[in-house]
Amino acid sequence: MDYVMTEEDELIQQNAGEFSAEYIEPIAVDLDKTGTYPKETVDLLAENGFMGLCFSSSFNGAEASYVSYILALEEIAKVSAGVASILLNHVSLAAYSVNKWGTADQKNKYLSELCTGEKLGAFAWAEADSAPGLNESSLKAVKADDNYILNGKKCYVANGGEAGLYLAAALTADEEGTKKFSIFIVPANVQGIHIVRKIDKMGLRACPWVEMSFENCEIPVENLLGQENNGLIMIKEAYLAANIAEGAVAIGIMEAALKEASEYVKNRIQFKRPIANFPAIQDMLADIAGNLELARLAVYDAAGKITKNKPFMREAATIKKFLSNVGTQALIDAVQVEGGYGFCEDMSVSRLYRDINGLFFTESSEDFAEQIIAKEI
Amino acid sequence: MGTDITLTPKQQEIQQRARDFTRKYIIPAAREHDRTAEFPEFIVKKAIEAGIFPHSIPKKYNGPGYDILSQSLIAEELGYGCLSFANILTGNLLSSHLVLIGGSEEQKKFYLGQITSGGLGGFLLTESGAGSDAGSVKTTARLDGDAYVLNGSKCFASFCSYAKVMVVIASTDLTKGTKGLSAFILDRSHITVSKPEHKMGIRCSDSVEISFKNMRVPKENLIGNEGEGFKYAMMALDVARTTVASVALGCARRALDEAVKFCKERTDITGKPLYKHQSVAFKIADVAMQIEASRQLVNSIISLKESGLKFNTEAAMSKAFSTDTAMKACTVALKLMGSKGYSTDTVVEKLMRDIKIYQIFEGSNQVQRLVISRGVFNS
Repeated sequence: MDYVMTEEDELIQQNAGEFSAEYIEPIAVDLDKTGTYPKETVDLLAENGFMGLCFSSSFNGAEASYVSYILALEEIAKVSAGVASILLNHVSLAAYSVNKWGTADQKNKYLSELCTGEKLGAFAWAEADSAPGLNESSLKAVKADDNYILNGKKCYVANGGEAGLYLAAALTADEEGTKKFSIFIVPANVQGIHIVRKIDKMGLRACPWVEMSFENCEIPVENLLGQENNGLIMIKEAYLAANIAEGAVAIGIMEAALKEASEYVKNRIQFKRPIANFPAIQDMLADIAGNLELARLAVYDAAGKITKNKPFMREAATIKKFLSNVGTQALIDAVQVEGGYGFCEDMSVSRLYRDINGLFFTESSEDFAEQIIAKEI
Repeated sequence: MGTDITLTPKQQEIQQRARDFTRKYIIPAAREHDRTAEFPEFIVKKAIEAGIFPHSIPKKYNGPGYDILSQSLIAEELGYGCLSFANILTGNLLSSHLVLIGGSEEQKKFYLGQITSGGLGGFLLTESGAGSDAGSVKTTARLDGDAYVLNGSKCFASFCSYAKVMVVIASTDLTKGTKGLSAFILDRSHITVSKPEHKMGIRCSDSVEISFKNMRVPKENLIGNEGEGFKYAMMALDVARTTVASVALGCARRALDEAVKFCKERTDITGKPLYKHQSVAFKIADVAMQIEASRQLVNSIISLKESGLKFNTEAAMSKAFSTDTAMKACTVALKLMGSKGYSTDTVVEKLMRDIKIYQIFEGSNQVQRLVISRGVFNS
């Protein structure tokens, strides 16, 4: 096991819990209903150090562990998985990548802005009509002197439209059918970036998704992240790191669902007794609770591995495979025990049911969890 | 899906008509009505013109008189289009069947006549304290001269902001439990409805609360005998469960179609189609297998019914199995389709929201398992 909760972790968890209760919980239902990006709340998250929680103080980070970040994310997800999703995309995909593969200059300039929250981060990888790189409209980058010229589209970009900084994965080579990608650091204010449309979705509605286009965007070569044509390896790792964070969001959602559902069954009287007394109900709730407990250990342990700079691919893929199934089932069951009431928007479980299905997507065969796990075993 | 060779030419024609209707009127409108939660007032008229509404009323009462298989084919196609529209167009069955089971000739003519002329028929059983425990109904009906006086409150009444007639289950003798429950015919003049609930799915089929305060219902609106309402309701529910199973089967087929289309069109970044990945193909195979099993279960009930045999255990199996299968199909489709499936760019996220209530209403899938296990242990 690579997870030990330090005093600092506990303190951060507690702070995040109090912060969430005070600033996020009161607006969570409304954010979901209206699909609004909570700018003021994100600013507050930044003021309190959450946007750069697990990064070095040299880049304005709070120097906490990845475990602390995971614990904070879980606390936020308990009250709003949508807000947690904003933080997740910012930290686990954008900031994580700059921190991991950025040069000292790139980190000074860009990671610092991400950590203070001055800029919100986003990672643009998925495309609308095909796997990335295969379509006419796929994002491509061509080198021209000191610049790369980016043209094409990205879709389902989380935090899109609100982000100040994008990491855009563009096709840079197509050698005998083998696609090579590179990642570029693209400030939102460069010429040629357009938000094509906002994308509505089932849940996580506080976190905006957009389709965006790049038209002759000139990106200086010094904004290339890592090595040219080496994007896929980075994308794979960043998304796996994000899977661990998604695990934290999933367990936050499951906790909230379990809490509401267990209150409900104690108070719901049918056949002259609380339905909590029925073994069929106990069975469903026990499954949620048990899977939640197992998932929590796995998520914390994987976060411990990131903190210690140990390999975490297999662990992350396991979290994805396990939680993507039991998380969805937990909410199918949580709504079930609350019956018709659970199906109505007055109860949280209907929102949580919609939210949990927005986690653990596979956007290309690069991240088929079973393949990653199988390779290692 | 191709033509089922076991269908008669007439059944094939009905299936095709329902399919065309769904493609023309339901699928293009479903997304917008989901967004606004606005009741699709146009749909019943169009369904009558297409000869698929009402789908279950015998010829004797001016219905189309379709055989049971044809009825289930229609329900399935409607479910394929939209679970909310399907709920509106097939939901009459519960109350109309109850009237068919327990009503007098005059009541049948009146009630079924309202429906064949395009009215919707609601069913008022559920109360805030009487869900799975349907027998604990607290709404009372007290005989006072030539009328029953109703007091109490019903909830989660489907499409009852728009229903023209309805059947209500109320207690004529609270001391007798389910044996004190009776069924009554109501028309719109008897009721006022609450604002609809905000639901995550089947959003354009409104769910409302209906309260009665010393409301007088003519004595002749009692269906059958006092104390037999629960029995009629349970019999009607057996029939309705089969319809729900067919509707859910349609939803499962839709989810599978969406997933198959996606996995055929989409490739991974090496250009290999997604369906050529075994982990993808086998998930699709599992869903296809369960859909086929759901269909055979529905068909077996049809045979039982046509032979006049008991089918309540099988109806419970079918309802739970079809709706669980549809949930599984939606889950698999959503996960395979990733961001696209989660967004409103495709129908899959809507299927996933809509299908949840099908595991809950018309007897939750836990109640179905109760019925099934009783059937198993008592046989």
